[in-house]
Amino acid sequence: MQHVSPVREPLVTGGKTYHDVTQDVCRQVEAAPNVRWMAALSVALFFLGIFLYSVYRTLWYGIGEWGLNKTVGWAWDITNFVWWVGIGHAGTLISAVLLLFRQKWRSSINRAAEAMTIFAVICAAMFPVLHMGRPWLAYWVFPLQNTFGSLWVNFNSPLLWDVFAISTYFTVSLVFWYTGLVPDFATIRDRAKGPIAKVAYSLLSMGWTGSAKHWSRYETVSLILAGVSTPLVLSVHTIVSMDFATSVVPGWHTTIFPPYFVAGAIFSGFAMVLTLMLITRVVFKLEDYITMEHIALMNKIMMITGSIVGVAYITEFFIAWYSQVEFEQYAFINRATGPYWWAYASMMTCNVITPQLVWIRKVRYSIPLTFILSIIVNIGMWFERFVIIVTSLHRDYLPSSWVMFSPSIIDIGIYVGTLGLFFTLFLLFAKFFPVINMAEVKTVLKYTVDNGPTYTGHDPHHDLIHKPTTHGVPANAPVNYDKHD
Amino acid sequence: MTKRFALGIFDDEDVLLHAIENVRAAGVKIYEVFTPFPIHGIDDALGIERSRLPIAAFFYGMCGLAFALWMQIYMLGFDWPMIIGGKPHIALPAFIPVSFELTVFFTCHGMVITFYTISKLYPRWRTPVLDVRSTDDKFVMAIEINESTDLNNLSKLLRENGASEVNEKEMTKN
Amino acid sequence: MATLTHHESATAEYLELSPKTRRTFISIIVAGVVLLAIGLIMAAFYGGGHEAAGAAHGAGAAHAAGPEAGAGAAHHEGSPAWLKRLIVSLWHNNVFFVGVSAIGTFFVALQYVAYAGWSVVIKRINEAMSVWLLPGLVIFLAVFFLGRHDLFHWTHDGIMDPKAANYDAIIAGKSGFLNTPFYLIRMVVYLGIWWFFSERLRKISLAEDLNGGTEYFHKSINVAALFLVLYAVTSSMSAWDWVMSVDVHWFSTMFGWYVFASWWVSGIALTTLTAIYLKQAGYLKYVNSNHLHDLGKFMFGFSIFWTYVWFSQFMLIWYANLPEEAVYYNQRLGGFNGAYTWMFFFNLVINFVFPFLLMMTRDAKRQMIMLKIVSIAILIGHWSDFYLMLMPATMKGENGFVIEIGVALIFLGSYLLLFTKRLAQASLVPVNHPFLDESVHHTT
Repeated sequence: MQHVSPVREPLVTGGKTYHDVTQDVCRQVEAAPNVRWMAALSVALFFLGIFLYSVYRTLWYGIGEWGLNKTVGWAWDITNFVWWVGIGHAGTLISAVLLLFRQKWRSSINRAAEAMTIFAVICAAMFPVLHMGRPWLAYWVFPLQNTFGSLWVNFNSPLLWDVFAISTYFTVSLVFWYTGLVPDFATIRDRAKGPIAKVAYSLLSMGWTGSAKHWSRYETVSLILAGVSTPLVLSVHTIVSMDFATSVVPGWHTTIFPPYFVAGAIFSGFAMVLTLMLITRVVFKLEDYITMEHIALMNKIMMITGSIVGVAYITEFFIAWYSQVEFEQYAFINRATGPYWWAYASMMTCNVITPQLVWIRKVRYSIPLTFILSIIVNIGMWFERFVIIVTSLHRDYLPSSWVMFSPSIIDIGIYVGTLGLFFTLFLLFAKFFPVINMAEVKTVLKYTVDNGPTYTGHDPHHDLIHKPTTHGVPANAPVNYDKHD
Repeated sequence: MTKRFALGIFDDEDVLLHAIENVRAAGVKIYEVFTPFPIHGIDDALGIERSRLPIAAFFYGMCGLAFALWMQIYMLGFDWPMIIGGKPHIALPAFIPVSFELTVFFTCHGMVITFYTISKLYPRWRTPVLDVRSTDDKFVMAIEINESTDLNNLSKLLRENGASEVNEKEMTKN
Repeated sequence: MATLTHHESATAEYLELSPKTRRTFISIIVAGVVLLAIGLIMAAFYGGGHEAAGAAHGAGAAHAAGPEAGAGAAHHEGSPAWLKRLIVSLWHNNVFFVGVSAIGTFFVALQYVAYAGWSVVIKRINEAMSVWLLPGLVIFLAVFFLGRHDLFHWTHDGIMDPKAANYDAIIAGKSGFLNTPFYLIRMVVYLGIWWFFSERLRKISLAEDLNGGTEYFHKSINVAALFLVLYAVTSSMSAWDWVMSVDVHWFSTMFGWYVFASWWVSGIALTTLTAIYLKQAGYLKYVNSNHLHDLGKFMFGFSIFWTYVWFSQFMLIWYANLPEEAVYYNQRLGGFNGAYTWMFFFNLVINFVFPFLLMMTRDAKRQMIMLKIVSIAILIGHWSDFYLMLMPATMKGENGFVIEIGVALIFLGSYLLLFTKRLAQASLVPVNHPFLDESVHHTT
């Protein structure tokens, strides 16, 4: 028995019933693909084509096709890797951290956000794998016996930690997401008309029937997965940050990197979730589930994490000066005023200043402004990684080797290509999978102030649960199930 | 083997919870309850014990941790020791990230595999369900019946406790 | 089913302090004074100050990074060991208690902006926790004026003067930040902000008790949001000022968040402990095992968070092994003839392993006795954490425990007197809080 304060905004609007939820979410899975979706998929596929071409060039002609040079041996690819991994983090934050903190509003966005996580990690993985030059030997990163082709892997290397972190993160997210999908697949299966759909969704739903025993275990599994995913998501970007922070490169070696990278990751991830959800809610008519309240809340989280990142920027800058270490100080002065000042300025503007607009109520409740803001943040976070990586490398301890970095056309092709890959996957997901977790939305439906149970009409024994209602809302509930807790 | 069931269909989870208690109190054994979403408090009403999956998860995690530590210490400490970055062969702080990741990896996958296995969930070509609406908006209470069951009484009991329909269904279980 | 009942049953509840409780607090202070006296006498008469100083010199090799080696003479211009220990431990305890006080307000503010309902019934504990901010400011100022040379190397005369014998270029480079007037202004500003917002949130909440209505709630959210922004900056800065500048050559960008994590866990532990004691004394009738469960989860989770921050800072410094950074851990791991080595590991065990293992199961988080053990362990653990942050830089190898624990008991007793007094000044139940009903009926 839960009590909900009237101060809270409704989680789902429009007086939805359980059946309405099923209908609204299954509609686009069951309907034929619409033109807008086909058009979007075509664009995504075009960019996927660019990706494939760039990959072909990289593999056939080698890494020389990229813009890397002797001083800046690590730039575009790692920037994109960190950017994509970071974007993925919001999905886990929504599905795990917000679950632990009982933020019930997460239930209508977690499915899409988790899907985003998985696709973003796939895109991220492309960069280190391609940078290997011979991706068919990628299995050498695993600890295999010496006779298999390599020595034991170096467990002291943060790059190897990445292998373990990203693999664990990807598989755990996938399993978490899939387990959540199983009951919804069962819903679609039980509604399916066509024989192919029936078989396909029966296979996908793993024989789920929704028995109370299964639900009980399902909830235990979800909670534990959330419990371990929370430190997992922290560890992933922590380890990504350690790729830089364990080194002795000025601007990279700084102890705040782990939590600061995590905050940045969530920041950019929320921006991407907003971008995707703003489109999805309109295209699939889900405005009652992803309400303006959801958008405002996501905006707020974006602003909070953006501010944490801002505090970290200031801290880094201050401590660089405070440390009185010449190289540290130069690295930061060079960032802000050196040849890459424009990247630094973009980063500061996009990440620290513009998100503060969210303090204005009008901004966080405005769809166009939120959309623009979310794009700006994603650009800003890309620049953050670029600034950290390139400015620290291009002028390091040896002034005779100072150079500039510029990406080649293939670099750019791979980057925009991964956007194509990402959106291809996301569009396929949005079409064939339920984009909203129906089962979970149904659990919060009754606890949302806007919605009383709407079944009073056809239940002759309704008085068994005595529900006096005021303005369509159950005002009082003497039946107390507290003893079941 | 074919089994016959009486299905009480409910429209509201709070009505269902109440009905479960009353039906059980009346001495009728509930075969299973099918719901479209997890219901808070149904475990206690049905007498479902708290799952032991967390304990399993803990042990999987311990296995992962032990494996990770063994692997790193054996490989870099004994099998092929190398000095890397001036660190000792067994550089424990550097082993923590991988140990953590493998602990999580084993915990999650061990637990999820266990979950699917004990729940007998695996892909199948077709999935028979007692009432297809139970994955949409109805709450279905299934009671196993045989020749000696007084169906009228059972139906009455279910309806009195708020069932909007009472149906009969046969199901072949293999 | 959602119920929108308007807390029809919530009634105010007032804490009445029995003379016996007061006597207990006073006897804590008396015990502290006795310990302190014993400690001071021991240190003054038997403390082999010079012997220990010699040892410190030996281990001081670690500290010799940079030009400070030449400034070795400066070490000896401080007070005698017994006085120095007293000054450092006053500072140490004050940092701990001020930090925990501020966490009270931080917790309340956080719950407001997060629209958290469950915590409303324990809110008054957090509000009362902030009682040490003003006394803390007074103690900070007094200790700074009396004993700054024993605490802060950068306050030494001539250290920033190129012509002086003990000139230190690195410290001089920091003079824009580390100079007495600016330092004091900052200190007043931090505590002023924290105190102002504590009072403001408290006042709004008390007015809400009296008048009801949701406008107080919305006003609180705005005040809380502003506080959180300011706190995000001031908490880190205060950590640099009060703790990091003690190791004046050393620096770590993580440090502000590390100190915050330590305060935060301690604050949650204190909240939990107070809630349990009040409950056992027959108060807080709405608090049940569900609320304790949540507090237990917080202690569990944020103990892990603290460890995460600890590990990130340690591992990065250990891995890169740059002398100017690694000196910090050299001093704590084996430095000064191993004076701090056991504490270094004790710190990890009591603040991570212990709460992690004990708070792992659901049942443990719902049992008062387990929560009590863990929260006391966390409070001792994080007090030791601050000890470990402050002592090696100030006392070198001359540290001890009798004076330190004595001072800690005096602080504890005084804090409890003020804390319970403030707790008794308002109803323990914020009767008109819009989430009160949710909190009363909270289940996990």
